[in-house]
Amino acid sequence: MIRFLLARSARAALTLVAVSMVTYAMFFLLPQDPVSAMCPKNCNAERLDRVRHDLDLDGPTVDGYLGYMKGIFVGRELDSAQGGYCEAPCLGYSYVNNEPVSRTIGRALPVTISIVIPAAALWLAFGLGLGLTSAWRPGSALDRAAVAVSLAGASLPLYFVGGLLLLIFTYRLGVVPVPHYTPLWRSPVDWASGLVLAWLALAFLFAAIYARLSRSQMLETMSEDFIRTARAKGLPPRQVYGRHALRAAITPLITVLGLDIGAALGGTVITEVTFGLRGMGRTAVDAVHTGDLPTIMATVLIAAAFIVIANVVVDATYHLIDPRARAQ
Amino acid sequence: MRRSILVALLATATLILPVAACSQSGSTPGTATASPGSSTMPAEQATDVIATDPAASQGPAAAVAGAEPGGTVTILRKNKISHLDPQRVYSFAGLMNAGLISRTLTGWVDQGNGKLTLVGDLATSTGTNVKGDCTEWEFTVKDGLKFEDGTPITSKEIAYGIARSFDPDLTGGPTYLQEWLAGADYDTAWDFKANMTSLPPGLTTPDAKTIRLTFDQPRCDLPYAVSLPASSPVPPDKDTGVDYDNRPVSSGPYMITDNTPGVQLVLDRNPNWDPATDPIRHQYPDRFVWSFGSDSDAATNRIIADSGDDQTAIAWDGVSAAMVSTTVNDPALQSRSLRADTPSSNRLTINTERVTDLKVRQALNYAINRQGFVQALGGPTVASPTTTIMPPGTIGYQAYDAYPAGATGDPAKAKEVLAGATPSLVLAAGDDSYGQETAAQLKGNLEQAGFTITVKTIPADDKLDETKKRDNPWDIWLDSWAADWPSGAAILPVLFDGRTIKDAGNSNVSLLNDDALNAEFDRIQALPPAQQASEWGPVDQQIMTDFAPAVPLYVDEAYYLHGSKVGGLFVSSVFGSPSFVNAYVSS
Amino acid sequence: MKPGEHPRARTGTRPSRSPGRLAWRRLRADRTALITGGIMVALIAVALAAPLIEMLYGIGPSEQFQAELDDFGMPIGPAGGVSGQHWLGLEPGLGRDIFIRLVYGLRTSLVVAFAAAVVTTAVGVLVGLLTGFLGRWTDGVIGAVIDFALAMPFLIVALTVVPTLTQRFYGPRDAVPASFQVFSLVLVFAVFGWAIAARLVRGQVLSIRSREFVDAARVSGAGLGHILGREIAPNLIAPILVSFSLALPAYIAAEAGLSFLGIGILEPTPDFGRMIDRSLGYLQTDPAYVLFPGLLLFVMVLAFNMFGDALRDALDPRAEAGPR
Repeated sequence: MIRFLLARSARAALTLVAVSMVTYAMFFLLPQDPVSAMCPKNCNAERLDRVRHDLDLDGPTVDGYLGYMKGIFVGRELDSAQGGYCEAPCLGYSYVNNEPVSRTIGRALPVTISIVIPAAALWLAFGLGLGLTSAWRPGSALDRAAVAVSLAGASLPLYFVGGLLLLIFTYRLGVVPVPHYTPLWRSPVDWASGLVLAWLALAFLFAAIYARLSRSQMLETMSEDFIRTARAKGLPPRQVYGRHALRAAITPLITVLGLDIGAALGGTVITEVTFGLRGMGRTAVDAVHTGDLPTIMATVLIAAAFIVIANVVVDATYHLIDPRARAQ
Repeated sequence: MRRSILVALLATATLILPVAACSQSGSTPGTATASPGSSTMPAEQATDVIATDPAASQGPAAAVAGAEPGGTVTILRKNKISHLDPQRVYSFAGLMNAGLISRTLTGWVDQGNGKLTLVGDLATSTGTNVKGDCTEWEFTVKDGLKFEDGTPITSKEIAYGIARSFDPDLTGGPTYLQEWLAGADYDTAWDFKANMTSLPPGLTTPDAKTIRLTFDQPRCDLPYAVSLPASSPVPPDKDTGVDYDNRPVSSGPYMITDNTPGVQLVLDRNPNWDPATDPIRHQYPDRFVWSFGSDSDAATNRIIADSGDDQTAIAWDGVSAAMVSTTVNDPALQSRSLRADTPSSNRLTINTERVTDLKVRQALNYAINRQGFVQALGGPTVASPTTTIMPPGTIGYQAYDAYPAGATGDPAKAKEVLAGATPSLVLAAGDDSYGQETAAQLKGNLEQAGFTITVKTIPADDKLDETKKRDNPWDIWLDSWAADWPSGAAILPVLFDGRTIKDAGNSNVSLLNDDALNAEFDRIQALPPAQQASEWGPVDQQIMTDFAPAVPLYVDEAYYLHGSKVGGLFVSSVFGSPSFVNAYVSS
Repeated sequence: MKPGEHPRARTGTRPSRSPGRLAWRRLRADRTALITGGIMVALIAVALAAPLIEMLYGIGPSEQFQAELDDFGMPIGPAGGVSGQHWLGLEPGLGRDIFIRLVYGLRTSLVVAFAAAVVTTAVGVLVGLLTGFLGRWTDGVIGAVIDFALAMPFLIVALTVVPTLTQRFYGPRDAVPASFQVFSLVLVFAVFGWAIAARLVRGQVLSIRSREFVDAARVSGAGLGHILGREIAPNLIAPILVSFSLALPAYIAAEAGLSFLGIGILEPTPDFGRMIDRSLGYLQTDPAYVLFPGLLLFVMVLAFNMFGDALRDALDPRAEAGPR
């Protein structure tokens, strides 16, 4: 187990390094020059070049990349225009936002986490609940209704659902304030009321997917041999369903959940754009539009880290639970 | 129609400005604004400008009818203000916020309908033209001026503010004073960091009450240039460099008490502001709060709902084109709307080095359908059509139409002018929704007159930089211009004097270079200041008639909604954005 | 049906048929499959026949009718300007006909989705087969590459790559044709999508590989080619088909999502995502403008999803759930 974890973690670290290199190199492709964001109106070409050179932004270089990566672990020295010494984890300085990138991330990350985690809890509860209930009696009216709802949820675009929710609950009925982020510790009620629409929209989409998934998993498991055996042994149907079948069916669901949460923590861009919330996804998109390389690097690395960690955790869990996987 | 370009398009004057204009009093008072709901505003003439009576520069500012002290005014805006540091402020939001926290040598008394007066704010007057030829200006600092912590404001702090604008780290602000004092390469000509205890060449403070600026060329526009926050005082011992941007020390009626970027900016009363020294501002509300994050539609809906704190709020981002049709006709919102022309003028720039045939350029002017363009943008609250280069509201503005073609254009006349030719033109368009929609509109419009239009889409954030390159590969594109002060000298020579063309960061994007025209610019700018205003109008017309280097399209219209319990808000005649100097909360 | 009762309990005998024939029969008997399949075919037909429809309808996608808009650019008339001439009304601002733009938008969506689904499934199957079957080392390497592809942020790469691809291949004065825009979108999807398909196939291959019949084949001396082609591949057809048919609506939605964010197909080519993005601003003033593209997109994705489900049910008898 330990060896497996070590191997997987090593691979994860390698993936992160690869992601960081490719992202940094993509700077070549980015159309916008971050230096001109500094002086949008008054800079002549010579001054721009001088500034670019002083701040080591001539273009992606190996030194620049290594300097950035080093800064993440031990901090590095930046130009006075960028605030002097930048402590670890140093994610660079953004000219577009006029602040260290770590401060931007420090504001965006809690927003994304506050959107994703409660939404995940909601969609797991609803999705599983719906899927399990409908698989209990396949073909019944409840099942057909559940299938219809989950299909609808999985087919409606998120921005459409979001827009509708906004129109109905905020603008027409006024029961929910305009979506905004308040830190949980400042006011739990405000935190919840500012995010509830985002949770609902996300959860609606994912719950539908999870309902479909759990339903088909349960149905498939129910037709397995070992279930037939359990039934033949005379176990009550509920126990067969709730304990034996569920345990077998749940594993792939946990896998998917882990990966989905990992990916979502990187930034649910469409949700953030639709509801006007400044999370990681929104920050990343804005950074690309303005050519803000340090912010892009930071958001990409953090998002990739979430995905990669989720992968490792899921693989490890799978390894623990599923003896077939261990046998490889 | 939301456009982030709007914010980024305050222009600079050229680096090498020949004798700059200098307006004195003398133009006729303007007419009142049109009633809301009409689709075209009559031409406005800015009333004048530089005050000659010293009493005009003395405080207190005239009381606002119905105003009472107290309350909190909230300003809803999507993006945070990019700079608070006065020497780095150059965006509309930054400028209007600076009106509350950063006083300047001179300032505008603005009635909000084109009635403007330039008065001394920190200075006792709008400046003394020492030698009479605009090469040396002297200001006397008022008594009793204090920063928010009670320390006095003297010429030393004001000069320090101007000096620190030479610091290459402190980017973003206007560069007039730096360039006029030390030339185009000012930050290498005088190194601020190495010389922090002295002042740049030409800037002197003979005593604590006097500040003097000396230039090697006449700069008659200096009184205007120091109305920008660049002349705002900074206490040298409190200057934290780039960090000053988070918490500048206030010289105005309000001071910053909380700055959470992207979330809110809170301004509370500055107890050390003396209204007797200030002819412009008031201190009615207890507090101003900039609340960031809501986009324009969310803010509009909140203001319409007018509940709770939103009753004392204003939506800074205006009303999007999609929502305008309901708000404009809503009787309940009439008393809560601000509508005015802005100085932001938009035109279709023609690259005269690529489109060399005057007939083609004239045909474009005949073919253009301004009414359709305004419809595509969202109607008269968003844009009003214009046929001149200078916007109404510029001192000396005269309305004319060099190519009369009716509101929807005259494709037949255009074809006649083209005499059967079907020129093929490349239109550069940004990839944002504004760029794409306007490109579709222009293509459909101009192709009716026989043109073949190829739309080349480029990233919207790049477009300004790329089109300001001398050798850009395109024929036509949309451009916007808003002068930093309402003088023709800040518009026409900047946009059409061929001697100012640069390889990058060029403002004469039409690449027009005509010796006779350049000489005419020189002639007008050498005139005694009182006579200049009436000269710019005919030049405007001459440029369009003889050269047609652009197709004037529309002037941005300001349309803001505010809550029912806030008053005294008006649209700045200089910048076209809401001004807060007269704001109050009613009970 | 009693809870817990095995859905397949049947008596009697039947003539034997190949799994393909059986699947086809099940599909034909499924009413939902028939309806959604019909919708799919209809949508594809409309997309293919777009120019013909334009000819018959009489209005092109770029034609403007600003005279039928009011001063504010809003369509005059009910439901956003619905009339006998404009079946679904006009766009605010530019005044273009919504119906014909939806028809062409359908074409864009379907072309991108089919191309992306085909490419990603093909590449993914290939890689998944290889990795599931060749040694541990290749499996490790390809697994790492898949990890990397899944960890790279799709949106950032799309935002960066799509605009610059066009800059590389087209001169500064050349317009970029819709075909190239479609190509760059499909490319971006493919670069990321193959990893998802590959992972799926790899998992399937691993589980099949450890089945008894494969061991049996190997024991009786079958070579790698035979095992891959004869034992494993046929068992993959079902999951591949299903994954393809479910990838389609995913790519339709993804393309619309990218356009919503401002990447992807540009003016004047009509596109669902861009239309919905613009229309959301008009939700309160011209809701029909939001409803028409949103509803059509929804119906399209729903139909494809339901058909995919029905296909899976038809192909995989163990998941059969009785009458629908």
